[in-house]
Amino acid sequence: MFLIFKRLWQVNWAEQWQYRANLLMYLLYWLVSPIIYLAVWTSIANVKGSVNGFTANDFTSYYMVLLICDQVTSNIIIHTFAYKIQDGSLSGELVKPIHPMLTNALVNNVAFKMLTIMGLVPIWVILFLLFKPDFSGVSLPGVLLSIPIMVVAFFIGYLLSATIVSLAFWTTRVYSIHEFYFAFILLFSGQFVPLPLMPKLIQDIAQYLPFQLLLYFPIQLILGKLTTDQIVLGYVMAGVWLAVSILVFNLVWREGVKRYSAVGA
Amino acid sequence: MQTLKLLSAFLKVNIQMSLAYRADTLVNILLNLMWLGWELLSLNIIFNNTDTLGGWGIGELIALLGVFRLVNTMMIAFIWPNTEKFNQSIRDGSMDYTILQPVNSMFLVTFSRITVWRFWDLILAGVLIVVGVNMSAATTTAPQVLTFMLLAITGMIIIYSLWIVLIALTFWFVKFDNNVTILQALLDAGRYPATVYPVWLRVIVTFIIPIAVATTIPLQALRGELVSVQILGFVLVSIISFMVASRVWKAGLKQYSGASS
Repeated sequence: MFLIFKRLWQVNWAEQWQYRANLLMYLLYWLVSPIIYLAVWTSIANVKGSVNGFTANDFTSYYMVLLICDQVTSNIIIHTFAYKIQDGSLSGELVKPIHPMLTNALVNNVAFKMLTIMGLVPIWVILFLLFKPDFSGVSLPGVLLSIPIMVVAFFIGYLLSATIVSLAFWTTRVYSIHEFYFAFILLFSGQFVPLPLMPKLIQDIAQYLPFQLLLYFPIQLILGKLTTDQIVLGYVMAGVWLAVSILVFNLVWREGVKRYSAVGA
Repeated sequence: MQTLKLLSAFLKVNIQMSLAYRADTLVNILLNLMWLGWELLSLNIIFNNTDTLGGWGIGELIALLGVFRLVNTMMIAFIWPNTEKFNQSIRDGSMDYTILQPVNSMFLVTFSRITVWRFWDLILAGVLIVVGVNMSAATTTAPQVLTFMLLAITGMIIIYSLWIVLIALTFWFVKFDNNVTILQALLDAGRYPATVYPVWLRVIVTFIIPIAVATTIPLQALRGELVSVQILGFVLVSIISFMVASRVWKAGLKQYSGASS
């Protein structure tokens, strides 16, 4: 098994490396909106002194850490896999004795992630020099505690997206469904603004959903803004949602493959 | 006259194409409404926490959202689909047939694909602008509304010209699929007044990829912040950039040598 993953890594790393110019463009595309939110909220905080307890520096450091967390926890499976179900090219992968979604596609996504993170580092340093956030609240334990959470959050997000991609076995409109799902992430993850600034109703719902684990929770953890109780609760939520997403994905995938009719074959 | 006839023909073909995918059109309209809901919610969240954003009230930001949606519609209804077709035609050589037509090739390349259902976005944009202007505290005069419309058009001409230059570069670098990604990437910056951005970002969205020229600037005209010299300046810039773009397009065409011949 280890050998399989090693070889898959070599192949996918080489493949992604080929598209490094595309990766840079993707990175640029994805960077813009956090920077805009950062600018909008710091300008408000600068005028008012603080927004609901958040100072200008709180916003700057929040979005600067968000750039890293988002790159670690997000996934691109909808772009790399859904079309295979629709045009039938999945057939070739199904006859292999390894799970197409949990081996090849996963390794491919991780290789993509590694390269974009490499591209992000110099950009992040430049942004750091431009915005000069004060990271004095960051502590080593917080950073260390956030790493397992981000890894688990990536897997939860990956499995949930993979579940949605698997809906392509039933419908061709899987991209629209994914867009709808993406709006959920935007609403409940803390991407637009730290969750305490969202309307009360959304905050209450967000507590029970896994999306805050993608961004809000690890960001606040790194910035040292969470109490011990909150950290424990976050870890419990991560465990529960990981179990739920594994179950749901396996169920949908198994039923989906049964329906697969290999278009074009 | 011939141009209008051609446009209506393109429109007819594209309507037929989109009618073949009725359910998709409906889903897309629903998604579009969802994003409008999200945009209004995000404005609501911002203005729950403050009264002004860079000196602008909520009415002005709703109007800005309307102008942003105009630009966005132009991008999605014309720029993306035609770019895709154009890149393809350079790679496989089907550009040959476009050049053979007895019509301005730049016109053909930029208007032959139209995402028709997006036109309903124009109505939404119009409603947002009217509602926003009415909600803003400042009184607007007729000349301000007129310069607003004028500058919205010049802003779009400037973006259109930049687009022409970007895709014309494909004539030189055949494998240049990312030619419009930079436009796409910075588009989101049009949602908020450029005046709240840090200087470097403001410079980028005003002078390099001038999204703000089509969004923030017209709104500033509506607020009566621009003097007539500036307005004249923007009109001149749009004319010059269009002329430059046509020149670059022609030079690019001369470079084109087909894909296989």
